[in-house]
Amino acid sequence: MDKLFFQNSNNEGEEQEAPKEDRPPSLMEKIQQLGQTNVPQLSQDSKIHCLTIIGQIEGHLQLPPQNKTTKYEHIIPQLVAIEQNPKIEGLLIILNTVGGDVEAGLAISEMIASLSKPTVSIVLGGGHSIGVPIAVSCDYSFIADTATMTIHPIRLTGLVISVPQTFEYLDKMQDRVVRFVTKHSKISEEKFKDLMFEKGNLTRDIGTNVMGTDAVEYGLIDEIGGVGKALKKLDELIELNNEEMERLVQ
Amino acid sequence: MILYTTMPQEIIFQTPESEYGKQTVIEYEGIPVLVEMNENHDYRVIQVMSSDPFHYLNDRCCPGVILSNRIYQ
Repeated sequence: MDKLFFQNSNNEGEEQEAPKEDRPPSLMEKIQQLGQTNVPQLSQDSKIHCLTIIGQIEGHLQLPPQNKTTKYEHIIPQLVAIEQNPKIEGLLIILNTVGGDVEAGLAISEMIASLSKPTVSIVLGGGHSIGVPIAVSCDYSFIADTATMTIHPIRLTGLVISVPQTFEYLDKMQDRVVRFVTKHSKISEEKFKDLMFEKGNLTRDIGTNVMGTDAVEYGLIDEIGGVGKALKKLDELIELNNEEMERLVQ
Repeated sequence: MILYTTMPQEIIFQTPESEYGKQTVIEYEGIPVLVEMNENHDYRVIQVMSSDPFHYLNDRCCPGVILSNRIYQ
């Protein structure tokens, strides 16, 4: 409680100082602002940018606002800006996602994979389904010891036309994911498909829930680690990239 | 209430159209933020959408802050 009151009086002081506020904030506003997070101020341009892939990966259908989503129309322009801005030297991707739209996920993965700047990903909590291609799309990937990745076959919701072509389409769609993952990680196609079609691991479902250490063992992810290790690796990759650039110039 | 149906939950309990319009992305001092309009027609910050980690340290637009709408209209 002490902390709450302290923060409250802090806000009051700040807002009275701010020239934009032409009236002191109402009590209601102050109460509503109590949930805010206070973090130390640092004014500096960062050479490492960070993208968080959280919740559902939203595709062509907009999800109701109570869902936490990562929208590709937000992520893709950011990736373009990161590629273009010479001040940005590296990108850190933080994943905690349940998966989502296949095409949106693959679009983000392809964008990350084709960036010329060093990229490092960390899977925290979960990087399920379409989160797997995004995690492996980076130059180097980390997974927390407790994090998991669910690998399972692709499925359709909504209107399904019951013709053999639907099955073929689904199979092709799945192949795109399998191809991307095997191309960008050390896992073999055979092993990845084995995990994808495994029975008896998931309740009422086909697939495997791969734990952090197993993901590294299968070659899906490069290393176990967290933010510290990931940033260190990214710095290393940036240095290598800069050296290479210098050599090209010479 | 217990439902016994093959219909997915989201089809039975559909989100009203008005819910979708509540959240928008605005730019505050060059920082893209996801905001929701409250009953006083002020914006409340839900999420900072920037990729620059230092933007997350700006305490004028961290999640929970109410941005007065009078400035932005």
